[in-house]
Amino acid sequence: MHVLVATDGSRESLTAARELQRLADPDRIDEVTVVAVVSPLAAVPFANDLGRPRDPAPPGPGGLSFRQEAEDAVAVVAEQLARWGPPVRRQVRSGSAAAEIVRAAEELSADLVVLASGGRGLSETVLLGSTAARVQHSAPCAVLVVRPPGPRRPGR
Amino acid sequence: MTTTQPDRTEESEGGLKRTITGRLLYGYVLGDVLGSGVYVLIGAVAAAVGGAFWLAFAAGVAVATLTGMAYAELVSKYPRAAGASLYVHHAFRRPALTFFVTVCFLSAAFAAAGSLASGFAGYFTQLVQQAPVLLVSLLFVLALCLINFIGITESVVANMVMTVVEVAGLLIILAAGVVQVARGDASWGVLTEFRAEGNPVFAVVAGVALAFFAMTGFENAANVAEETRRPAITFPRALIGGMATAGVIYVLVAMTAALVVPVDVLGGSEAALLEVVRAGVLPVPVGAMIIVFALIAMVAISNTALVSIVTQSRVLYGMAREGVVPWVFSRLHHARRSPWVGLLFSGLVVGLLLVVGALVQLVDPELDLVGRLATVTVVFLLFIYALVIVSAFKLRGTDEADDAYRAPTPALVVGLVGNVVLLVYVVVDDPSSLLWVGGLLLVGLALYLAARASRRGRDPLAGYAGHDAKEG
Repeated sequence: MHVLVATDGSRESLTAARELQRLADPDRIDEVTVVAVVSPLAAVPFANDLGRPRDPAPPGPGGLSFRQEAEDAVAVVAEQLARWGPPVRRQVRSGSAAAEIVRAAEELSADLVVLASGGRGLSETVLLGSTAARVQHSAPCAVLVVRPPGPRRPGR
Repeated sequence: MTTTQPDRTEESEGGLKRTITGRLLYGYVLGDVLGSGVYVLIGAVAAAVGGAFWLAFAAGVAVATLTGMAYAELVSKYPRAAGASLYVHHAFRRPALTFFVTVCFLSAAFAAAGSLASGFAGYFTQLVQQAPVLLVSLLFVLALCLINFIGITESVVANMVMTVVEVAGLLIILAAGVVQVARGDASWGVLTEFRAEGNPVFAVVAGVALAFFAMTGFENAANVAEETRRPAITFPRALIGGMATAGVIYVLVAMTAALVVPVDVLGGSEAALLEVVRAGVLPVPVGAMIIVFALIAMVAISNTALVSIVTQSRVLYGMAREGVVPWVFSRLHHARRSPWVGLLFSGLVVGLLLVVGALVQLVDPELDLVGRLATVTVVFLLFIYALVIVSAFKLRGTDEADDAYRAPTPALVVGLVGNVVLLVYVVVDDPSSLLWVGGLLLVGLALYLAARASRRGRDPLAGYAGHDAKEG
């Protein structure tokens, strides 16, 4: 079984990856792909709150970049999953978050998508729906939406 | 160690897929440019020049496109999202200058959003006669901030749709022109007429300064450089192609407007392109057409204004990540992942500009707020553009990859001269615009001082590089 773990650079997304490790049997998972989506037209295309990975890539010309932020976030989540068992791949895509996660799941023939829940406030649910809601609406496979316990921002 | 799936597309880019294709980028540039000026400013340009105001558009387009070549060269060297401040950093390595350029860019975006909001209100009041202009423009800014907060602008599809709508609006105008000419009603002489008083050359330069605003927005294309496929090849084509297309459309639209509507009517109108529709040349009911066209104009203006607000909050975010403005601007909303503090701040500054403009209008009813804020934008941008071209020259010979685009040197020289001449003209012609420029720069100074205070006097500028996002 192929699992896709999505990260938006938030701590909640790292919690979601840990939750996958807690819930799933690594022997039954053939492969994990960690995916991040950069949205080039957004005000902040990608923001990484997860810090640098232990094994950071050398910064490219012109300093760091949004893509670099996404690659760092993917690397941190991949490191979290590294010693779990299944091989871990990484992918950074660009476009609209929900659409690209669904597309990645289709391309990789994923059997499960893991992501953190969005907010639960009025604006998220009424106006547009969170990324998680949109992914579970159109994903080709099962979706694990992890809701972090406690206050909205654990660790802050 | 980084392994990725084989790509669907032929594009590898280190195995990572980038979404912005040449065609998308072309549409993005075209939409961003078309929305900024022609719907808002054509009346003001016509008033400044006279019937020959298409010349002003042609000259403005030419100078802007030459500047676009410098951007294209630099983007193909440094495909990062930061634009002018990054290039100036590479060329000069002076944090204070980089900071100043970034603040100028931010200020230009504030003034542009203010001008566009007033322009939007101009079209809106054509539909709803009694609507209070200030209130409409303030609500418009609020709506833009909300839309950005929700993140609809992230949609590439939404961008394409808006661009198509914008182009459709200008095609309506061109159709009116074609009909007018076919009927033999066109008096071609008007295209060579200048305003009665004064020297034609100065009249054109005055128009160019305003027409220049119509081309702004192209620099925002640098924002998506990082996600562009093969930027060294794609970017120059899409950027220069988009600007050239916009330029041709502008010149044709300006000619049409002059042929169909008397120039003094254009000059006196709040929503000048609507006058072309109102002239009733097209064989469709004028009333319905006016509503449709006003809506199209509002979509066009919204598109560019949205990008402007995105740019503001992104620049603030990048600066906050580097510590040169208070860190609070790098705060993201926990679920939407949008920089809500930056958006709120942008909304407040633009709102304040509009309120100040309304107050000044109470004292001086002659003030044309749209034109004034456009002029302020142009002052900032001409300065930045000139500096970007200088940076392009300074960076010749460094960081040159084999496939990097190299702009023709004479074109850059002409572009530089054009920018400087226009800058000098605008400042000499309208020194009071410097008051507004100074006011906006004070906002940047205040942000800097706040950052400095929060760092207990350590200079936040030490090490500032103008990158868009940096490890905090």
